[in-house]
Amino acid sequence: MLKNFYEQMKEAAEKEFQRRPRAWLMYTIQLTSTLLKAFEDDAKVVWTTYYAFPMELLAAFDVVPFDFEIACNLLPGADPKGCVDIMTKAEAKGYSLDLCSFHRLALGSYFLGYFPKADLLLTSSYFCDGKTKTNQILAQYYGKEAMMLDVPNELSKESVAYVSKQLQGIAGKLEEISGHKLDLDRLQECIRASNRARAAYGRLAELWKTKPFPWDGSRLCNLSIIGNMFSGTPFQEQLYQKILEECEQRMVEGKVAPEEFRVLWLAWFPAQRTNINEILRKHNTSIVMSELARVYWDEVDEKHPFEGMALRCLKNPYVGPVEQRLAGVLQLVDEYKVDGAIHFSTTACRHANASFRLIKDALAKRNIPFLVLDGDMSDERGYPVERTASLLESFVELMSSKEIGGE
Amino acid sequence: MKNAKPQIGWLCAFAPEEIVMAAGLLPLRLSGDPKELSTADAYIYANSCPYVKSILALGLNGKAKHLDGLVFVRSCDGMRRMYDVWKSYVGTRFVYMLEVPKNKDEAAVEYFAGQLRKFAHALEQEFRVDITPASLNQAIRMTNKARRLMQRIYQIQRNVPLPLPGSEVFQLGLDGLGMTKEAFILRLEEYCKKAESRVPQRGDKGKARVLISGNVIDRPELFRLIEAAGADVVAADLCTARRHFDHLVDENSGDPYLALAHRYLGELSCARMTGLEERLNEMEELVKAYAVDGVVYTSVKFCDQHLFDAPYLVEKLKDEGVPVLFLENDYTWGNIGQLKTRVEAFVEMLETRRR
Repeated sequence: MLKNFYEQMKEAAEKEFQRRPRAWLMYTIQLTSTLLKAFEDDAKVVWTTYYAFPMELLAAFDVVPFDFEIACNLLPGADPKGCVDIMTKAEAKGYSLDLCSFHRLALGSYFLGYFPKADLLLTSSYFCDGKTKTNQILAQYYGKEAMMLDVPNELSKESVAYVSKQLQGIAGKLEEISGHKLDLDRLQECIRASNRARAAYGRLAELWKTKPFPWDGSRLCNLSIIGNMFSGTPFQEQLYQKILEECEQRMVEGKVAPEEFRVLWLAWFPAQRTNINEILRKHNTSIVMSELARVYWDEVDEKHPFEGMALRCLKNPYVGPVEQRLAGVLQLVDEYKVDGAIHFSTTACRHANASFRLIKDALAKRNIPFLVLDGDMSDERGYPVERTASLLESFVELMSSKEIGGE
Repeated sequence: MKNAKPQIGWLCAFAPEEIVMAAGLLPLRLSGDPKELSTADAYIYANSCPYVKSILALGLNGKAKHLDGLVFVRSCDGMRRMYDVWKSYVGTRFVYMLEVPKNKDEAAVEYFAGQLRKFAHALEQEFRVDITPASLNQAIRMTNKARRLMQRIYQIQRNVPLPLPGSEVFQLGLDGLGMTKEAFILRLEEYCKKAESRVPQRGDKGKARVLISGNVIDRPELFRLIEAAGADVVAADLCTARRHFDHLVDENSGDPYLALAHRYLGELSCARMTGLEERLNEMEELVKAYAVDGVVYTSVKFCDQHLFDAPYLVEKLKDEGVPVLFLENDYTWGNIGQLKTRVEAFVEMLETRRR
């Protein structure tokens, strides 16, 4: 079912790309092509976490990276009812409705036989507990090894060495899976590609500071998470460059949507269809940045690739004490001159949601209105349409009254 | 009256009491107040684990003022985020996040040993004390002694029929988490005498034997409910019971920190660690060792670690012919009445199988 879905998605994107060669279509084609490769018999499929695992390492081995969260969460936007059926399968097996819908969807997809094979199931400890647990459970069912990159909460010489050592161990496992030794030159080339993409993304993020915002902010989360699956490949830089050109073109042609309010998006953006964009657009409110879309890492040192990749993991805003996350949020507030911040709290996301009060208080000191918007990433059963509309409208009013008050 | 020794609270079985004791401080496991839970909602998301919320509420309501310090470990997403909130809104004198890896290979053990040294150093700095190899070894011996005594009682509980009520043994262990090791050892020695005198004669099949497995339970309601339904609780695979008292620290190691790291990281099985198969094997071993007729697997609401494991473990145990009852709880056990019928039906089913 998933395979057919990706095939249809790819075909539609390719067809449209012939007519309009847009970056997002280029991205969709590349994404679906990679996911489809995982279904090929001779593919070496390594399950992973695009956002949180250093993908350059996988790129150096030419294995097919497959992230079960992303793979099945392309579905809710297209077939919300079908997703409920898939999740129901997991729930019938005993997986609680209190668990994240991303993972219920993944487990249901496995039970229904929708997933490709797995040669190794890798993940990292800091994405969330749910991801690591689902990874382990799926590994048990597949009878394959689960490996977890354990990333501590502290940034120190010791933690860099610890994470780096684990990455070297994972490289050893990837040698077994791929059937070839690690080529250090190749890894360095992947790191260089990733650094070039980082620079291109930096230019893009700079352009996004422009008022009015020249892109579609609802895609920021998606791009920053899924875009990372291409880390270590030349495609990532090409993609960012193409988006940059399109933004510039739109500005030149005066096609940018009118903007009254600028919003910073915190935590995740729902994968399912919602009324969020519609309401924000109606009130000329742009999402101008997402905390996940911030470049939080330094260039990876190609001469010390393992340490460099370890550092990137350790600097992720969701690792470490909350100060790491707060500093990033406040940096974006200043740089993007936002009028408000919205935290999308998918009900089961313990690690992102738990910090809402700290974020609220930090933003209050800057006099930035803050909204916690409850909802669900993928489960339409838990999505409060009317409540979302009224909360967003009140929030726009709040930003508006602040502006009238001249604060 | 405040105890003479500064008190250091801890929240997870991975917190090494020995280091706190070696610093001349008193380690105490914190237990939340079920009545306080809602205070935390304004500070941490409502769908957070109720244990986390109840502990946070203690702090917010000024009921943790007796503590001179609180040690968090990176147990789970909820705990690490509570650490952030506690630091900002409660403000205990010494608040520490101990890094505990989730893997248990050599690299992880080595890293953890380093983290234990760092923790010891932080205590030394804050409380102006010295943790010497001698004081640490003494604390290790003392803690091992308590563990050995508790393990002796657990060993006695393998007998059929069950010599001592499970709720009583559980309460004994719970009491030990809130007193000095010296006092606990005295109490355990006394209790062991009583336990040994109760070792039954063979022949009596006793009642249905239940293993409770899950995460944090720090009151005996569930034990009593199972006992009232006519079964015995023979063992408790919980972080406030077996997981706290099992496995000893090597007393003859040249490096006590490494020895501690081996015991805590290498030996303890918990849903927060990698190794689901290992956890299943361990539960199967407990079932055999304690001649268990059925397992009650319980988890507090919103605990991702256990809620994810539960369906897999339940399925596999059932495949092995072990009946399992899964109970979600709200930590306060305020819903105990609702669970009564399910527990009674489960015990009745176990009894029928034994006939």
